[in-house]
Amino acid sequence: MAAPVVETRGLGKSYGLHPVLRELDFRLLPGRGAAVIGGNGAGKSTLLAILAGLSSPSEGSALIFGADSRRLGPRYRRRIGMLAHRSYLYPNLTARENLEFYAALYGVADAPAAADAWLGRVGLEASADERVGAFSRGMEQRLAAARAMIAEPALLLLDEPFSSLDTDGQSLMAKLLVAALARGATVVATAHAVPEIERAELDLYEIVRGRMLPYKEKEPEEVRRGRLRTLLGR
Amino acid sequence: MAAFTAILRKDLRLELRSGQSTIALVALALLVLVVLVFALDPAVARGPETAAGALWVALVFSGMLGATRVLTAESENGCIRGLLLSPADRAGLYAAKLAAAFIFMMVAEAAGVVMMVLFFNLEFDAAMMRVAPVLALGALGFASLATLLAAITSRARASDLMLPLLAVPMYVPALIAGVRASAAALSGAPFSAARDWIGILIAFDVLFVTAGYLLFEHVIAEE
Repeated sequence: MAAPVVETRGLGKSYGLHPVLRELDFRLLPGRGAAVIGGNGAGKSTLLAILAGLSSPSEGSALIFGADSRRLGPRYRRRIGMLAHRSYLYPNLTARENLEFYAALYGVADAPAAADAWLGRVGLEASADERVGAFSRGMEQRLAAARAMIAEPALLLLDEPFSSLDTDGQSLMAKLLVAALARGATVVATAHAVPEIERAELDLYEIVRGRMLPYKEKEPEEVRRGRLRTLLGR
Repeated sequence: MAAFTAILRKDLRLELRSGQSTIALVALALLVLVVLVFALDPAVARGPETAAGALWVALVFSGMLGATRVLTAESENGCIRGLLLSPADRAGLYAAKLAAAFIFMMVAEAAGVVMMVLFFNLEFDAAMMRVAPVLALGALGFASLATLLAAITSRARASDLMLPLLAVPMYVPALIAGVRASAAALSGAPFSAARDWIGILIAFDVLFVTAGYLLFEHVIAEE
C-alpha cells in the first residue's frame, strides 16, 4: 500500500485559549482528493496552513510525504502547490511575469513556455501582458490557480478554490482539479458548503467543533420539523 | 542560485516600473543634505569632515527607507507567504533581499555624492574614487542589518517605528567608522589614516551579513 501523502496524528491548533482544531486523525493517499466543509472560523484555512508548513500545530503532528510539516525542506515544498485566500501575486507585474517568476522559483525547466501554457489553460491569454493590479477578483483567482499548479505539484492545497469565480470559472476550476487528480496529484480543498465543491468529485469531510468527520448530509429543515411533529404526535 | 536570481530580478523589475524606492531615497538624501548645509555654520561647513558626516547621515536615512521597502513590497497580496511556500531556501531569499536593498542604497548614494560635491564646494577628483569603496562597505553593512531587522519587525505593530529604533543604535559603530574613513579619503590623507576605520566597517559587514544569512530563516518563518 502506498504511503499517505498527508497524515495527521492527534492534530490540534489553538489560538490563545481558543481551540480551533482538535484531535484530527486523517490520512490521504496519493491521487485521492478530500474536500473539507465548514463555516467561517471552522479552522479550514488553519488546517491548510499547517499542512503547507506555514503554521505549527499546538498538539500532535502533520506528516507531509512522511516529513513533519514544521520542517518541510525545499525538496518537499517543491511538491506542494497552494491556493489561498490571498493570491500571492504581485500587482505591479503582468500575469505572464508573475507566472514566469513563480515557475523560475519552483525550478520549472522552461519558465516562459510553462507560463504561456498555463495562461492558456486558465483562459487568460488575452490578458497575459496586463498588470495583475488591474484584474478583477475572478481573473486574479484564475491566475492564482495557475500559480499554484504551474510546477505540477504532487499535493494541492486549495482554500475555497471556487470563491469569486463565475460559472465558467467554476467549471474551469473543476476541470483543473479533475485533471490534477487524473495525473496522480493529491488534493485537499476547502469550501463553505457542498454545492461549491461537489463538481470536483472529492471525498467530503466536515469540521464540526474543531473535529474533522466524514461529511453527513443534513436533513432539510422541513423534513426535520415534520419528523419532530410526528414524534410529538402533532 | 536560481531563486536568488529570480527574486532579485523581480525586485529590480518592480523598482524600475514604479521607481518608488529610488525616487524616495534620492529625495530623502537631497533633503538631508540641504537641511545640513543650511543648518551648519558656513565657516566650518565646507570641510571634508562635515561633508562626510552629512553624506553618512543621508545614507542612514535613505537606507532605512530602502530596506523597509524591499520587504514591505512582499506584504501585498500576501506575497511573502508565496515565497515561504516555494522551494527557495531562506538564505537565498535573504541574499536577494540584501542585494536589492544594497543596489537601491548605492543608487541613492551616487546621487548623494553628486549633491555633496555641489553643496560642499568639493571637486570631482581622485578623492571621490577613494570614498566609493567606503560608501559601498557602509551600504552593505546597513543593508544587511536593516534587512534582518525589517524581517524581525515586519509582523510587529508599528514596525515602521521599530526599525529605526533598533537599527540606528546598532549601526553607530559603523557610522562613526564610515564618517572617519570618508573624511580621511576626502581630505587626501594616506590610506593608513583610514585603515583601522575601514577594518571596523569590514568587521561590521561580515558580522551582520553572516548573522542575517543564519538567522533570516528563523525570523521570517510564520508562527
